[in-house]
This record gives sequence, C-alpha cells and structure tokens, in this order.
Amino acid sequence: MAQLYYEDVQEGSEIPTLEKLPTTRTLVMWAGASGDFFELHYDKDFANSMGFPKVLVHGRLEAAFLTQMLTDWIGDRGELRKLTVQYRGNAFPGDTLLCKGKVTKKYVEGGESLVECEIWVENPAGQRITPGSAVVALPTKGS
Amino acid sequence: MTEEKRPTLEEVKALIGKKKEETLQIDKSMIRLFCQCIGDTNPKWQNAAPPGLVTTAMISGGALAIEVPRLYKRSVAAGADWEFHKPIKPGDAITTTHEFAEIQDRSSEKGPRVLLIYKSTHRDQKGDVVAVSTNSIMSY
Repeated sequence: MAQLYYEDVQEGSEIPTLEKLPTTRTLVMWAGASGDFFELHYDKDFANSMGFPKVLVHGRLEAAFLTQMLTDWIGDRGELRKLTVQYRGNAFPGDTLLCKGKVTKKYVEGGESLVECEIWVENPAGQRITPGSAVVALPTKGS
Repeated sequence: MTEEKRPTLEEVKALIGKKKEETLQIDKSMIRLFCQCIGDTNPKWQNAAPPGLVTTAMISGGALAIEVPRLYKRSVAAGADWEFHKPIKPGDAITTTHEFAEIQDRSSEKGPRVLLIYKSTHRDQKGDVVAVSTNSIMSY
C-alpha cells in the first residue's frame, strides 16, 4: 500500500472513494463481529414495528467503513487520530455506499503533521447520510 | 401484546453518572472477523487491530453496557466521536469505563425526543488510554 506524506496533501485534496455493498449477510456478520445484537439490524418485523420499511445498516458499520477509507489512504505510517460521525440518514442492505472525503486543513502541532478531513457516506441517491470529520497524522518526507 | 413499561424522564435522568466497567481480551480471531466483515484486506491488521475495531459496540457500546431503559418506542444511534490515542494489538486486554453522561431534551412539535450521551474511556493492561469514545442515542 502506497505511503501518503504530509507534503502530498493540500486543502481540497480528495480521499480515494471506497465503495461498499453491505448485504443482510454483512449485517449478521457485523452483529457477531461487533457484539451489536439490536434487532433493528436483522429482524424485519422489529424494524417495521419501529417504523422502518426494512432492517437498517448499523451506523457503526458505516463508521468502520470510513475508518477503512482513511487507513487505506494514509498508509502504514499514517495514524488515524480522531473520527466524528453523525447518523443523519438510513442505509439499507443492498445499497451501494460510497465512502468519500476531502482535506479541509493541514497544520503542524506539537511536532506532528496533522490533516483534518471532511468525510461522509453517500447513499445511492447521492445523499450524505453519514457526514463527519477526521484527523490523521502523516509522516513527512525524509522523516 | 402487552405494551412494554416505559420509565419516566425523571427516572432516566436519575441514572446520569451511572458507570460500568468491562474488560475485553483482544485476539487475532476477533480482528480477523472484523476485517472480513468490513472487507479490509490490509496485511497490517495481521499484527495490529485497525482503529475501526474501537467503533464496535463490544468496545465502545456504552448504551448496551449500561442498559438505560428505553424512554420512547424508537431508539437509534445519532452520532459518535472516537479519539484514538494508542494502537491496540492482539493480546491487549482493553478495560473500558462507560458512563451515561448526559441527557438532552430535544422535544419539538413532532413529539417528545431525547438525546442520550454516553462516554467511554478505553485503557490497555498497562493503564494507558488507548481511545476515548462518545456515542449518542436518539430516543423518540
């Protein structure tokens, strides 16, 4: 995996899009792998009783997809420092989700080269259902 | 079907400050299952946990751990914030202190709703803070 350096990014730089297609199977795997057994994510009758047409993709699974987008981008020597998300919309199994982001700020603080990003998950309708932000620390060339 | 008995807002407010501590042993199979589920094939995670592991309910699911009774019929995750201080590795024992930190009344003309905020601090076996999480649940 290519290493990203602090010098490589500028405000406005885009993070490579990560595409995900969570299925019902993915949600069952996530329930087991993450310890979240809330019925809203695998029991359609329960989801209907809460007013949802189908079971929902876990918000935390979308957050995990965003962490992968960031760790893929920053490379082995980069470090994810902070992730913030708001769950504004729902995703359903079978939706192709696009994890996207772009750099909003870069600065050096406490001897570290930090990059702030705007990040989001986009649903098939192009809506930003899970917007948020992230801070990553990147190595500098020659370091 | 019998209607589930709901607590009052005051009863739930009385639970603010409630804490629960739990310890989770991190092993390679746990990391592998996580990576298989999200489709992350980065070989780096053969010997380290991806930061995303902290997003899982088993580590930062304070709402599940503390079991604050549901005020209203619907309950969904509203947002979350994770700070990653130190990478987690297989073999680490992560002790998390969850706290039911705050409740905000967000009622409107659409009806009653509250935001429940949980804070979790995650430490490794050396006592070092590896991550800090904040999660909020909207109940309406």
